[in-house]
Amino acid sequence: MKIDRRLFANFDWVLLGLVLLISGIGILNLYSAGYNLNAGGEPFYTKQMSWILLGLVVMVITFSIDYHIIIRHAYLIYVVSLSLLLLVFFYGNITHGSQRWLLLYGFSFQPSELMKLAIIIVLARYFDDNMEREYRFGNLVVLLTIVGIPFFMIARQPDLGTAMFLMILFLSMAVFVGVGRKFLIYFTLGGLILAPLCWFFLKDYQRERILTFLNPERDPLGAGYHIIQSIIAIGSGGIWGKGFLKGTQTQLRFLPEQQTDFAFSVFAEEWGFGGVFALMFIFLMLILWGFKITRYSRDLPGALLAFGVTIFVFWGIFINVGMVVGIFPVVGIPLPFFSYGGSSMMILMIGAGLLMNVSMRRFILQP
Amino acid sequence: MFGNQDRLTNYDPGEFREKIRLIKWLVLLAFFILISRLWYLQVVKGDNLRQRSENNRIRIHEIKPLRGLIMDTHGNILVDNQSSFDISIIPEAAKNIEDVMNTLARLCGWGPDAIFCENVSLKSGRPFVPVRIGRNIGRDKLAIVETNSMDLPGVVVDVVPVREYIHGETMAHILGYVGDISTSELGGDAYSGYRSDDIVGKYGIEKYLDGYLKGERGGEQTEVDAAGRRLNVLGKTKSVSGHNVLLTIDADLQKICWDAFDEKAGTVIVMDPHTGSVMALINKPSFEPNLFNRGISGERWKKLTTNPLCPLQNRAVSGQYPPGSTYKLLVAAAALEEGLIKENTKIFCDGTYRMGDRTFRCWKKGGHGTIDLHRAIVESCDVYFYNLGEMLGVDKMAEYAAKFGFGYTTGIALPGEKEGLIPTKEWKLKKYGEPWQKGETTSLSIGQGFVLVTPVQLLRAYCAIANGGILYKPRLIKRIETVNGQVVRDFPPEIERNLPVSKKHIDVLKYALWGAVNEPHGTGGILKREEKDVCGKTGTAQVISLQENESDDIPYRFRDHALLVCFVPYKDPVIAVLVVVEHGGHGGSVSAPIARRIVDGYFNLKRKE
Repeated sequence: MKIDRRLFANFDWVLLGLVLLISGIGILNLYSAGYNLNAGGEPFYTKQMSWILLGLVVMVITFSIDYHIIIRHAYLIYVVSLSLLLLVFFYGNITHGSQRWLLLYGFSFQPSELMKLAIIIVLARYFDDNMEREYRFGNLVVLLTIVGIPFFMIARQPDLGTAMFLMILFLSMAVFVGVGRKFLIYFTLGGLILAPLCWFFLKDYQRERILTFLNPERDPLGAGYHIIQSIIAIGSGGIWGKGFLKGTQTQLRFLPEQQTDFAFSVFAEEWGFGGVFALMFIFLMLILWGFKITRYSRDLPGALLAFGVTIFVFWGIFINVGMVVGIFPVVGIPLPFFSYGGSSMMILMIGAGLLMNVSMRRFILQP
Repeated sequence: MFGNQDRLTNYDPGEFREKIRLIKWLVLLAFFILISRLWYLQVVKGDNLRQRSENNRIRIHEIKPLRGLIMDTHGNILVDNQSSFDISIIPEAAKNIEDVMNTLARLCGWGPDAIFCENVSLKSGRPFVPVRIGRNIGRDKLAIVETNSMDLPGVVVDVVPVREYIHGETMAHILGYVGDISTSELGGDAYSGYRSDDIVGKYGIEKYLDGYLKGERGGEQTEVDAAGRRLNVLGKTKSVSGHNVLLTIDADLQKICWDAFDEKAGTVIVMDPHTGSVMALINKPSFEPNLFNRGISGERWKKLTTNPLCPLQNRAVSGQYPPGSTYKLLVAAAALEEGLIKENTKIFCDGTYRMGDRTFRCWKKGGHGTIDLHRAIVESCDVYFYNLGEMLGVDKMAEYAAKFGFGYTTGIALPGEKEGLIPTKEWKLKKYGEPWQKGETTSLSIGQGFVLVTPVQLLRAYCAIANGGILYKPRLIKRIETVNGQVVRDFPPEIERNLPVSKKHIDVLKYALWGAVNEPHGTGGILKREEKDVCGKTGTAQVISLQENESDDIPYRFRDHALLVCFVPYKDPVIAVLVVVEHGGHGGSVSAPIARRIVDGYFNLKRKE
């Protein structure tokens, strides 16, 4: 395989820059979150650095392979991801009452993260193959099967947040390609009918989370504790923040899950509204840049891939920040490039690689 | 190379561009929502939430002050602070809480329930905050906990001061007791600045002087983490011990009174006639104040409150009795001052007295014959005073009663004091809607009927006679000092007024009181000492009026109260003693021996000094 030299001329430095900027701020933030944590072992921020470095390698590999080849192998990628989910089902590690992790050579890995990307790729392929004006019932059945299988497997772990996330990705892409109003109405109605039924299948802690979201003060030391402490942390940051390493909610450990789900709250406490505004601005730039790549991609599969990855990052930001500021229920969705997490960082780096892939190849006419 | 040329023809970027623009607006809206929310939390609610984060972080540990001591007039300690031991458990240090608790229960021989009674929130999520599991454990249990500390990880002992009432029930009504502040007290204005876990005086001096005794609490501000672990001390203020209180009470004399009073129910007060200082004050039955130290059991409390003899009542200030014959002195003083009689005015007593259609009797059948004022007081002739009462009238008697300090509280430093009752025509009309009857004046002139006095009122009125006419405010507190002995407040004797009785007439009355003890046929003969120096007057307070010859073998609760007031010596009195024996029957026979023992005891004490 020969790599065109022109690819490097078109390399998307802006995208790389934005990703590295956010990851860099994330590392700084993880340093603060772990500053007063004297639980031996390697600190989170150095581990995260390793993940980012590894992620960059994976990113390079991803953009080196023409995305058309990736699209061609979409179903293979999908089946492999499904198989891994199945493995989790049988051999997964149980932590906090749910079975999400796969142990590989001492590394734990979350196949549900991989599934998010696989769904984007497989949907890009499917919509590319069936770019029709009017989607029929048959299409709906196929699409629902493609998304439904991983949805239920992940919901069973149980990880309802990630399962719903797949559904949201699917809907976003369906809207994007324009599946038709009727299709969406059917889907929404079906969802509304199924939602109350789902309530009965939810585990107690999941119901608790939803009730707690509706009223965090109903159990301030129990289920509501996370969200109350997060709001206190964010709000107490004020306009200019308490200063790096000086967030009392963080350093005295009132704030839970500081490395992962609530990493944004750590940042908000120490850097205040000013810092948060800047960070949100960088995130917005990233999203808008992703849309620019989508707009200028030279073919449909490229546009679908670019859009899928961008909307994936967008929903990650919207849901995670919405959750820590108390406008969404607590679901375990990490903040892209910012929260600690190996699997998540790898997948996001591959996603960024895909975006670059599309971006770099927009001017290159296929021979 | 990749050969997908035909697909390119299907691709219409224009359509997607439109969609992207729309989606871009939606994304901008989403970011706007998040930023607005962040603005709301960090800028609008920022100060409020910062305060909440400070509340999370900063704990204030209270340092309780030591309560002031209470001492008698010579500085002997009456109320002390002793150490009591509470045990707490630090969940983090205990590791397995249940194991530790079981071990503790086994070692101390407690039932499994006894120890969990205050186990409120062991799972509060603050594993470094001690949780109290037992209150006021004895020294024996303390020894067990200390020696087995290796097997009881996380169990800590807190030393908590508790009040020790050294003289137990003998001084319970003076000193009172303390307890946890109640919700109703917390709500009242009198207790502003108090907190819900404060110990406050509930009764007696403990209550009356709570503001001086309690001291000022100190505090320590510490930074804690989410687990409740104390990280560093941010600030500290020391607690200030409460002030010490010196009373006018003499602990030895108090003991003498306690031992001398051998009846079921009643009160004794000993006062210094020259200052109004209360030297001793006892009530029987009494209660054990040390039981109240760390919360009295409901059963014991019920027993105290339902006892028909009311052990919690401080009869000396809140008991109200008809003064009986002791009131005659006031009637005599009023008649003399008003010029209605002279000291040698003679009245004939044939044992009966007619008022309207009623016949009143003298206590002595057949009467006293023709007697003067002196003999009338000495022999306590009722008919003589029936006549004086008629001359004076009810309202004149009330006027003098007020000047002798009856009918309103004396202001003694004890809670719960009563006013007594001095009837007037107006009062009767108001209260009963009926006019005053002449016969009621007749009863009133020998201290029966509506009139009610408290023992402390009666005694200070007699003190005023004894000291030549000065009515003092009863004085119970001598001085309040800081722990280092600096005087915070001095309480000198306070004169309330001078009696509206001339020196000459006071001498007449005083001499008559001497006569009542030392002359033949005197009603207080039992009090007569070798020195012939006691002056006194007995009184019988009717509980219900009885027909003649009916006074033996009547039920206890209907028997008359026996009163006695005396002072010694005649010339320059140093003590005045009042004895009330509830349902003791006739004054002289029951209360006089008690007073006699107290007077003798007092002089023995003096001799020893």
